[in-house]
Amino acid sequence: MNWVPLVFYAAALVAYAWHFAQRTVVVGRTATTLLVAAALSHTFVIGMQTMEVGQVPMAGATPAISTFVWLLALAYLYTEMTTEERAMGVFIMPLLVALQTIPALRPSVEDRAAVLQGPLFGVHVSSLLFAYASFALACVIGITYVLLFKEIKAKHLGFFYARLPSLQVLDRMNQRAIVIGWVFLTIGMIVGAIWALQARGGYGAGDSRVQNMSLQDPKIFVAVVCWFVYSFELFAARRIGWGGRRAAYLSALGFAIVLLNFVPISYFFTSSHNF
Amino acid sequence: MHLLLVGISHRTAPVDVRERVDFQVRGLVGALRALAERGSAHEAVVVSTCNRSELYVACDETEPTGQDLVRFLSDYNDLAQSAVLPHVYNITDLDAARHLFRVSAGLDSLVVGEPQILGQVKEAHTAATEAQTAGPMLNRLFHASFAVGKRVRTETGLGSGAVSVSYAAVALARKIFGDLSGRTVVVLGAGEMGKLTAIHMKSQDVRHITIVSRTMAHAARTAEAIGGASAAPWTDLDAVLAASDIVITATGAASPILTKGHLEGVMRPRRNRPLFIIDIAVPRDVEAAAGEIEQVFLYNIDDLQATVRENLARRASEVSRAEAIVTEEVDRFGAWFRARGAIPTVVALRERFETIRRAELERLDFKLSTLPPEARARVDEITHLIVEKLLLTPTEQLKSLTDADTIGAYTEALTRLFALDDERRKVEPFSRERRGGARPPR
Repeated sequence: MNWVPLVFYAAALVAYAWHFAQRTVVVGRTATTLLVAAALSHTFVIGMQTMEVGQVPMAGATPAISTFVWLLALAYLYTEMTTEERAMGVFIMPLLVALQTIPALRPSVEDRAAVLQGPLFGVHVSSLLFAYASFALACVIGITYVLLFKEIKAKHLGFFYARLPSLQVLDRMNQRAIVIGWVFLTIGMIVGAIWALQARGGYGAGDSRVQNMSLQDPKIFVAVVCWFVYSFELFAARRIGWGGRRAAYLSALGFAIVLLNFVPISYFFTSSHNF
Repeated sequence: MHLLLVGISHRTAPVDVRERVDFQVRGLVGALRALAERGSAHEAVVVSTCNRSELYVACDETEPTGQDLVRFLSDYNDLAQSAVLPHVYNITDLDAARHLFRVSAGLDSLVVGEPQILGQVKEAHTAATEAQTAGPMLNRLFHASFAVGKRVRTETGLGSGAVSVSYAAVALARKIFGDLSGRTVVVLGAGEMGKLTAIHMKSQDVRHITIVSRTMAHAARTAEAIGGASAAPWTDLDAVLAASDIVITATGAASPILTKGHLEGVMRPRRNRPLFIIDIAVPRDVEAAAGEIEQVFLYNIDDLQATVRENLARRASEVSRAEAIVTEEVDRFGAWFRARGAIPTVVALRERFETIRRAELERLDFKLSTLPPEARARVDEITHLIVEKLLLTPTEQLKSLTDADTIGAYTEALTRLFALDDERRKVEPFSRERRGGARPPR
């Protein structure tokens, strides 16, 4: 079922790219409409899977990716509607399409592992997915900031100059996305740690994965690295004037680490988060 | 009915003629009423800007009306006809529509793509509505022209990019800071160039403008001339720079007054808040290397002129797309305009058939009188339906015609085949009589 939203995301990607190049109003509206269709069909898919297994499908790497794509699409739509800026869409869509390919190719919804229970588990996963969606937005905004910055510095006012909002606006949007992401990342990590401590002594006592939940596990280690990168960015932006281009580079770096943790590490390396 | 445009513009008339042909001074509404009183046109709209004065009218015959409009152009402005006539253009029907569409799109402007013209065309139409000189033809024409202007602005880059140095500077500042309200501007130097740029910035609602000059008295005088600006002595330069967002340098200094090292010192306490420096002085006031500092955006007069040239080139490349939109809209308007040409024939044909039907019913009246009233009503209804059915396809065919020659040929043929000329003569009193008869008896 995950291929239905994938098709819409891909169509939206084409429309956003076309709109970015031509700036035709009709194409822009079509792009937004296609993305709304993608998000709606995705909501439907997630809803169906929720009914099927009795809970929101976010335990395990594949359902988590699907839910992440859905959250990012919604977060982007919200940004587009509040800022009336469509230029960012062309940078977000490839990420949505690429990530959505994974659940589309691995359609099965397995029952959640028995140890993954309790309200804290839900808070842990949903906060982290939301944090990652914010970081994805921050990364894209950062990339566009650098593109526009370079054009203005090089005194060649061309493609991006005509299409992007001002540097100041991009910088502010980037900072806001980082702050929101950082807050949820922090919540998600703390709640995850509390859950692991509870589970270790209780229902997860016999599960090797729960026992492996420590800083030695790559997934947890990289998440902590991530937290330090974003904490540094926030600190640097406020205390030593690392706004603008440096903040943009840091948010790209941060999100690269997030993606690394989210896809390859989840599938191949972690011994604690492979549900 | 024809469309007719008589006018002069920057393309045909020198400025000394254009400034004397002016319908704005005494108000557009007055000019429209004066034009309407002459009675040579059914509808009129006057478009008057500093670069053009154009009379758009709907009339029956273009030749005499055209001559009268030229007389109006000169009489109304107290000019000799010979002074105006050589510069006047006279355009009819769809060519006139195309002309107006190009004007609204900014294609006919002195600076291609300038945005004010669409507003001026709208004002012209509003004035005509107020003076009650705009009718169905010109209303349709002008609304179509607004649509053209809007489409060209949203679908092409014809109006994008600043095409003067001062606008280029403001546009750049907007791309760096977004909203300029709340931004602080510093002008170094109290000369004319700095003052002009500062006035331009002031029109963008910046929060504060400070003038810094080596001679405090000059700075104070310039600040006063700008209005709402303040002056600061040269010794305060660093403090003023640290608090500002946009710096305009326009001193007559022979060597750079702001070096890279100096600006690095200024930037440190700012925590990398962006600083936009516009160096319009020649020789330059700011060391070129200062542009390497992370959040310093340095543009000199040549850089700004280069962006203006780029923008002009980009506009020129958008012209063909805008022209394509104009052609599309002329075709759309043309379909309506030409279909109007067939309508009198359609009306005459229908009235001819109706006359025949009624005549036949009257002729058979004595035979029908034996029938019960319901049956008579049925006969009336059926004959009416037959006529409607017979006319349905021809009516549709006639209304769908768009080519003037074909319409002419069809009209000619129908007029002969059904003797519609007599009909037109006869129909008038008949239909009036019928309308009178339909009135309920008192």
